Amino acid sequence: MNAALEAEGLVKRYGARTAVQDLSFQVPQGSIYGVLGPNGAGKSSTLRMLVGVLRPTAGAIRVLGQEPTREIMRRVGYLPEERGLYRAMSARSAIAYLARLKGTPTRTAFKRADQLLTEHGLGKVRRKKIKTLSKGMAQKVQVLAAIAHQPELIIFDEPFSGLDPVNQRVLEETIRAQAAAGRTILFSTHVMEHAERLCDRILLIANGRKAFEGTVRDALALAPSLAVLETDGSYDMAPVLAPLGFEWSEELGEHGNRRWRVRLDNGHGSRQLLQACVEAGAPLSLFEPARASLHEAFVAMVGENVARAAE
Amino acid sequence: MSGPVFLVARRDYFAYVSSWGFWLSLLLAPLIIAVLLFAPLLLARAEPPRILAIVAEQPADAAVVTQEFADMARRDARTEIAAYLAAAAPGVAAQALSAFDAAPDRAAGIAAARGVAAQRAPRALGAFPTPSPRYIIVEPPAPDVERLRAYLDGAQALPDGRMLYGALNIRRVAGDPIIEYWSVNLSHGEPSDIARRAMRLAMQREALAARGLSPNEADRLNTLEPRVAQFDPRPSAGGARVTLRQRAPYYAALALTFVLWSVIFSVANMLLTGVIEEKSNKILDTLLTSVTPLEMLAGKLLGVAAVSATLFLFWGALGGGLLSMAAERAGNSMLGQVAAAFLEPQLIAAFAVGFIAGYLMYGAIFLALGALCESIQEAQTLLGPVALVLAMPMMLITPALDNPNAPIIESASWVPLFTPFLLLVRAPSGLDWIEIAGMGAMMLASVALILLLAARVFKAGVVNQISMSTLFRRKARG
Repeated sequence: MNAALEAEGLVKRYGARTAVQDLSFQVPQGSIYGVLGPNGAGKSSTLRMLVGVLRPTAGAIRVLGQEPTREIMRRVGYLPEERGLYRAMSARSAIAYLARLKGTPTRTAFKRADQLLTEHGLGKVRRKKIKTLSKGMAQKVQVLAAIAHQPELIIFDEPFSGLDPVNQRVLEETIRAQAAAGRTILFSTHVMEHAERLCDRILLIANGRKAFEGTVRDALALAPSLAVLETDGSYDMAPVLAPLGFEWSEELGEHGNRRWRVRLDNGHGSRQLLQACVEAGAPLSLFEPARASLHEAFVAMVGENVARAAE
Repeated sequence: MSGPVFLVARRDYFAYVSSWGFWLSLLLAPLIIAVLLFAPLLLARAEPPRILAIVAEQPADAAVVTQEFADMARRDARTEIAAYLAAAAPGVAAQALSAFDAAPDRAAGIAAARGVAAQRAPRALGAFPTPSPRYIIVEPPAPDVERLRAYLDGAQALPDGRMLYGALNIRRVAGDPIIEYWSVNLSHGEPSDIARRAMRLAMQREALAARGLSPNEADRLNTLEPRVAQFDPRPSAGGARVTLRQRAPYYAALALTFVLWSVIFSVANMLLTGVIEEKSNKILDTLLTSVTPLEMLAGKLLGVAAVSATLFLFWGALGGGLLSMAAERAGNSMLGQVAAAFLEPQLIAAFAVGFIAGYLMYGAIFLALGALCESIQEAQTLLGPVALVLAMPMMLITPALDNPNAPIIESASWVPLFTPFLLLVRAPSGLDWIEIAGMGAMMLASVALILLLAARVFKAGVVNQISMSTLFRRKARG
């Protein structure tokens, strides 16, 4: 596997506090790679080390197969979690300025800025100052600024935060398009659904440590099997499930019904569950096996408390 | 120059010069300086003459004091006309002043001088001064001070509608005059000084007459005065008498020091607010992937230095042009000599060196402080103590003007943060080369050290998000 990014034994300490502890992973070239974890897990510290803003306390990083020199880092695009642009600059100037700082010639930088803005529906506001743009537009401009110098490796820190669902979809498409163009994308998020939809591989971090690294499918395989039941009216399934040792969560179903997501990892399978329901005379309107989500896999790996912090 | 440093400098430069604040500074500063220079003069001219009344037991006393006021008004008019002609028509000044002196009174003197100017220098006639006296003596509207009080406290106007500014009451007690000055303007006592001067001469006349001497002897004695000359013992001065031309550089240095101080403080403030703005705009992380903190610091210093250079070029061209014109046209007049002093190479060199060193030191400190602040409000709390440090050299400027080589001034000149200002203010006194080299080396070392420390603090502030509040929190936790 050709790695676009390699981290080996990364450690970051701020005084007595350890933010990242012994983190190692590899990002395959051309892949979309997600770094997941709750707030405060160490994602941003990790990403800031990867792009050279922070110096690791220990460990080594290789970017595009080499030591992360200035020349190499010019081939990397970065969208930080704490983001902003010069408010008095126009959208095209802001993009071009950041591209030029990455070594793009002036004329090319402005040409690409115009092209990117037009492609992303911002052609009409390209000469408007950032302070006059909506928050979503400004965020889009910032994303474009991170890719205007056509980097081989793009690192986005929480790129979806602050975006409305429509713009989240647009950003997902942008990420896919960049990957399709052969670029490697690494992004962090605490929203598992984005990673589930986009990522080839994921790294789960909890308390600064690696909890999992692998494909999304591998992660999901670690999640428990589930069954979803729906009962009519106010029927309570708890007296049926509890004696058999099932764990469940309850949510509102269709037409005011009660819906139960039951974990099937207590030694009983779906057959035993169905049998117990029938014996109890539960008014079932739905009984189906369900695919666990990445979130549920995450909960299974790091525990309920850590996972709750992610929400 | 490396690319990122240039790009940061360029962006900062254009961000500042495209702001309205820059244009305000560029255009308003010369205007404000002109107003500060000429406002007192214009205000004095715009002020109407003050109306005084003199009440005296002996009419001769009133006449003596009234004459002194008239003589003073004549002298003032002559001085104003002399200054104007020295600048506007130096060739006719002597003849015009002779005509003024030959005239019987002030008004006739002004008319005579104007007549000479009209004949020999018609171009100078346009702005020829028409000086008005500072005081007008009127007949007292009441015979004694008790009854004058209503006029003096503003309750009653004079018959012609004007208000009485003050009254001099001259009494005689056992033959000796006593002057009482009545006015609601308690801080202004010039009329009583003028009356005292006049009455002292009158008393001298009376004393001489009592001894059988001519009273006019008093006038002659009053004019007796030794000639005083000041010399500079340094070989470079060549033993010549000290004139205004030699003293003018000291005043020019004082003015330039104030300009230097104001500019350094203003541009350092630009750096401080610029970094805070970038921190609050959350743009630093984006920049830091392309620019190192040291490059960013250097770029910002360079960008604002270019802003300062633009200001200086404009002000220098404007001021230099006006000063050159004044130096050329006003020749040996006070204005011409002071103007020429501003253009002395040693002052310009000291100003340039002082600006570069001062800007780098204070600029780097302000940048570092900005990196540690999260808001303008937080920065303002820090600026208090910093402003006090900046104010310290300014407190030494006046003593330095009196004695540039006083031990305290010499010692303070070696404090790197004060050197740029004190070097400039001491420059006209002719510093030793050893002292200049020593202070230069000290400033250079300090600039390097401050830049190094500032870069570390700047990096801690922008990269590790260390701020004053986090520092205080850490300290509080122990």
